Amino acid sequence: MSANMANLNRIANNKSVKKGSKTQKIAYLYMSPALITIAVLGIAPILYTIFIAFTDYNQMHFLNYHFVGLKNFISLLNPNNPLSAVFIPTFVWTLVYALLTTGFAYFIGLFLAVLLNNPHLREGIIYRTILIIPWAVPGMITMLVWQGLLNDSYGQINALLHTVGIPKIPWQSSPFWARFSVIMVNVWAGFPYMMTVCLGALQAIPSEIYEAAAIDGANWWQKFRWITIREIWSITLPLVIPSFAFNFNNFGGVYLLTGGGPARSDNPFVGQTDILASAAYKMTLDFNRYDLASAISIILFVIVGVISWLNMRYTGAFKEVE
Amino acid sequence: MAKGMLQKRAKGFSAKSSGFSAGERIALWTARFVLIVFVFVVLIPLWFVFEASVNPLNSYVSFSLWPAHASLVNYIQVFQQGQWLLWVKNTVILAVSIGILQVFITALSAFAFSKMRFWGRKYGLMTLIILQMFPNFLAIAAYYSALAKFNLIDTMGGYILVMIGGSAFNIWLLKNYFDAVPKELEEAAIIDGANSWYRFTRILLPLATPMLIVIFLFTLVGIFSDYIMAGMVFETPSQYTLAVGMYGLISGQFGQNWGMFSAEALMSAIPLALIFGLGQRFIASGLVAGAVKG
Repeated sequence: MSANMANLNRIANNKSVKKGSKTQKIAYLYMSPALITIAVLGIAPILYTIFIAFTDYNQMHFLNYHFVGLKNFISLLNPNNPLSAVFIPTFVWTLVYALLTTGFAYFIGLFLAVLLNNPHLREGIIYRTILIIPWAVPGMITMLVWQGLLNDSYGQINALLHTVGIPKIPWQSSPFWARFSVIMVNVWAGFPYMMTVCLGALQAIPSEIYEAAAIDGANWWQKFRWITIREIWSITLPLVIPSFAFNFNNFGGVYLLTGGGPARSDNPFVGQTDILASAAYKMTLDFNRYDLASAISIILFVIVGVISWLNMRYTGAFKEVE
Repeated sequence: MAKGMLQKRAKGFSAKSSGFSAGERIALWTARFVLIVFVFVVLIPLWFVFEASVNPLNSYVSFSLWPAHASLVNYIQVFQQGQWLLWVKNTVILAVSIGILQVFITALSAFAFSKMRFWGRKYGLMTLIILQMFPNFLAIAAYYSALAKFNLIDTMGGYILVMIGGSAFNIWLLKNYFDAVPKELEEAAIIDGANSWYRFTRILLPLATPMLIVIFLFTLVGIFSDYIMAGMVFETPSQYTLAVGMYGLISGQFGQNWGMFSAEALMSAIPLALIFGLGQRFIASGLVAGAVKG
């Protein structure tokens, strides 16, 4: 689909407005609702966040807050400060969670797409329709439903495991299994998107390449390795990186499933499965630490910025936006 | 196009291969087996939710594929007690108003970016798209303290304000669509002396209806799924949106609520899944139609 968009854009650009005509002032009038809302409701809050991150604005200093320089960042990042127990493990887990979720979803999606692309598989459309369902269900409902299904004592998943002789798994009370379930459920919800994208990419590979390779005597594996995988990789990479960025900030994927729990023993602020986005949310709403929440957000801004920059640098996405 | 070729190729294959090789046969049956396993992985949790919704006893300690005394009690309870209908109403009001405002804001600036010349046209949209790669909930502390200052916490107005910011990606989608409208249509109108507002409302908007619907539907689904912003703004249960209310229901007392919760989850998910499917189809056909016209 993105290939389509790019083509469409190229076609469109060729016939854009006549060259040399003057600036039309009325254009600004048409753009003003979007520009004003983006400036006031999008950019101003970001600037305000940057400001708060350098102050001690929190419940204790709601009216008389002061500029404190880098203090918030230093307390989050300095391993000797107790607050680093909030930031450092949460950051590591955010990274692990985003990498594993994106990776598993991508490879399972690719694997299923290759299977579905078998021309002899006449009933493929049936499998495909069913496998897309987790993508169509809104993420909010998926996560809440899984929270119920994985309940330690009453959940139906444990009941199912019990019937096949596996003892109850502490999905919600053990740090390991809580993390395992977060990744498992997010892969369950995420692989259909990857499968759809990979299937589109597979079908966009010109058959001439395969025919040429067959003439050169390439076997099945060589064709798969050097044509299919290479072509798919170049088409899907621009979508894998944003998907990683999405998971990195996927507040709902964690908070609605585990609420960030189970709790950590070394600090009251974040739980074992909290990612940075849900840590910032809890800091704001549960603990009124706007200063620390903003500092976490600024660090997230920087990370998302680097990921997006890498994406544009290496894949050329948005090159055609004019 | 490529897809068509592939299908032709596939037909060619199956026509001449009433007996395809043993290797291909093994590959086919392996593929079938693996796909069926995944079909079960997808369907079993969904079935569990359905099963719980028709199970009046609310006991799931032992596994069953079909409850002993299946009934619609949970569904009836959802409508008789509980605040689910109220949450649906709140969410629909918010989603529809935000959707309409978003479409309006998007269409106006997409028109300017597509059909007019002005300073900033070349890089303006790209800059905005890059800026909006930062999800706005990252500024949650700023939103929350600003809303608190203006007394907008727990109000629909406060939530609409937070969610109404123009989306550069939507503008870009619609701009592409406008770009593909033949210039001749507009030139005819310009010769007749039509101003830009006339061209916008009478020529471009009617032609772009499918894309406007897509943007509306995607905004709608976005509002239905949003927890973080709604959770920040709303505090009293009667003001909750669906996401906030249902989160409270499931993370509160699990044992009591699971049957009712499953009924609510199914009744919420099915319309949204259909809207999503519709939107996907629209967006695919809309883009293709644009390319052909261009």
